[in-house]
Amino acid sequence: MARYGMVMDMRTCVGCQACMAACSTENQTPFWSEKFRTHVEDKEQGVFPDVRRVQLPRLCMHCENTPCLSACPTGATHMDKNGIVLVNYDRCIGCYACCIACPYDARYAYDGKDVDKERELYGENVSHEMPHVDKCTFCVQRLAEKLEPACVATCPTHTRIFGDLDDSKSEVHKLARSGKAQPLNQGLGTSPKVFYIPS
Amino acid sequence: MTFVHQEVWHWQIATYLFLGGLGGATFAISAIIHLFEGCDRKMVSVAVMSSIAFLVIGTVFLLADMLQPLKAIYALTNPKSWIFWGVVFINFYFIAAITYVIPLLEAWPKLEPFIRKIPEPILGLLERFNNLAALGGSAAGFLVAIYTGLLISAAPAINFWNTPALPLLFVISGFSTGAAFLLLLSTFSDNEGAHKIASRLEQLDAVLIVTELIILGAYFNFAMFLPTGARASAEFLFHSPVFIAGFFVAGLIVPLAIETYSIFFRGHGNEGRKSALPILVASSLVLVGGYLLRIYVLKAGMFQFPW
Ligand code: SF4
Ligand code: SF4
Repeated sequence: MARYGMVMDMRTCVGCQACMAACSTENQTPFWSEKFRTHVEDKEQGVFPDVRRVQLPRLCMHCENTPCLSACPTGATHMDKNGIVLVNYDRCIGCYACCIACPYDARYAYDGKDVDKERELYGENVSHEMPHVDKCTFCVQRLAEKLEPACVATCPTHTRIFGDLDDSKSEVHKLARSGKAQPLNQGLGTSPKVFYIPS
Repeated sequence: MTFVHQEVWHWQIATYLFLGGLGGATFAISAIIHLFEGCDRKMVSVAVMSSIAFLVIGTVFLLADMLQPLKAIYALTNPKSWIFWGVVFINFYFIAAITYVIPLLEAWPKLEPFIRKIPEPILGLLERFNNLAALGGSAAGFLVAIYTGLLISAAPAINFWNTPALPLLFVISGFSTGAAFLLLLSTFSDNEGAHKIASRLEQLDAVLIVTELIILGAYFNFAMFLPTGARASAEFLFHSPVFIAGFFVAGLIVPLAIETYSIFFRGHGNEGRKSALPILVASSLVLVGGYLLRIYVLKAGMFQFPW
């Protein structure tokens, strides 16, 4: 049992989007429809002449208080023993209640067209056999093999730091504990497990 | 902070929300009229059959919008979800409506032979508990109507929806469309009591429209208060000519004016039946307005994202 979480070091992200590419390949997500489990927001901050660009990588926050899970009528959306919020594809009816409830734009429809295209690209070896609502899984399949999520392993600037928030020796624990890294939109009370070090 | 229009639920869901409110309220008002004013069996049976049809069509739109409609039964898993309760309310509603309407259908000579095929003891039971079904059904109709608002208010990042004013607005608007639909039906009824019921419905609809205006005032006042997604949504609606002219003016103010005029200035029964035209116009406008309200509230929903 762990409580997996991520810290984003916004001081180092250069907006190369390698994480998006790595995630798409690892999880066969529909890049062809421009749908991704993780995005990098390119923001402008400040008022002229004091303006700068900021890159903000984002993904499912694996909220502790989980609005998508409460909204899901079928129990397709659930939390595993490591605190990872997952969708059981077989049970998802695609009602989108979770997409409306999620405050972090973390979900999208893996629809019938995407399933067809996936089969065309990956042949028999597909991970999404039926239409469903899709989201980040922290790459559970890689965690099972003691590998980090694909986005973390790929990030060339060590922006993404992954680990067990309950493990006092882990970097994520220290950063979150010290308050150096903070979650987004704390006021909503969702208790996200993804934290940000401001740039 | 960015405000982004939701791209999840479109006109199909608006249609479902509209038909849910209309169907639920039509049944609830018919059953209440039945309990308190006595029953024009023909008119009430047409009303209840139509309300069942509205909910069936609405449900078809909802299912058609899903990715896996054939698995819809799974929706009865998580009682924390409003959709779970929607399924419960709608099924409860269907049971009550069908139980209630069967004995009433005997009023139609063409249908009587079919009704007579139902075994006598069952028919006897349905007759005996007709009032109970009316009562249960009006509760179910009310729940279905309010559920349409509760469903979309469960959106923490869409501030415009995430407010108790929205279910209230939807339930009042639903009942106003229900009253308007029944008014429309009453113009086709040749029953003696129909014009008395029509006057009652007219009064009810006028009161509901006034209530709706008060809730709208409070709702927009709340939405404009802080620079959040709710304000962005309200501003979007203020700049939508169809919402202002179609819903607000044509769907609320004009029918309210027609109904007020009819209530206060067009006799109290002594010159017989009122002319049907103003009623037809006012109720059709209320119905179109109710549909536009759902469409535009969905369109105006904006996520407030923290980046
Ligand atoms: S970020 Fe969205 S999808 Fe992820 S756990 Fe929170 S509410 Fe659910
Ligand atoms: S779309 Fe799927 S995961 Fe989302 S709420 Fe509906 S059933 Fe649950």
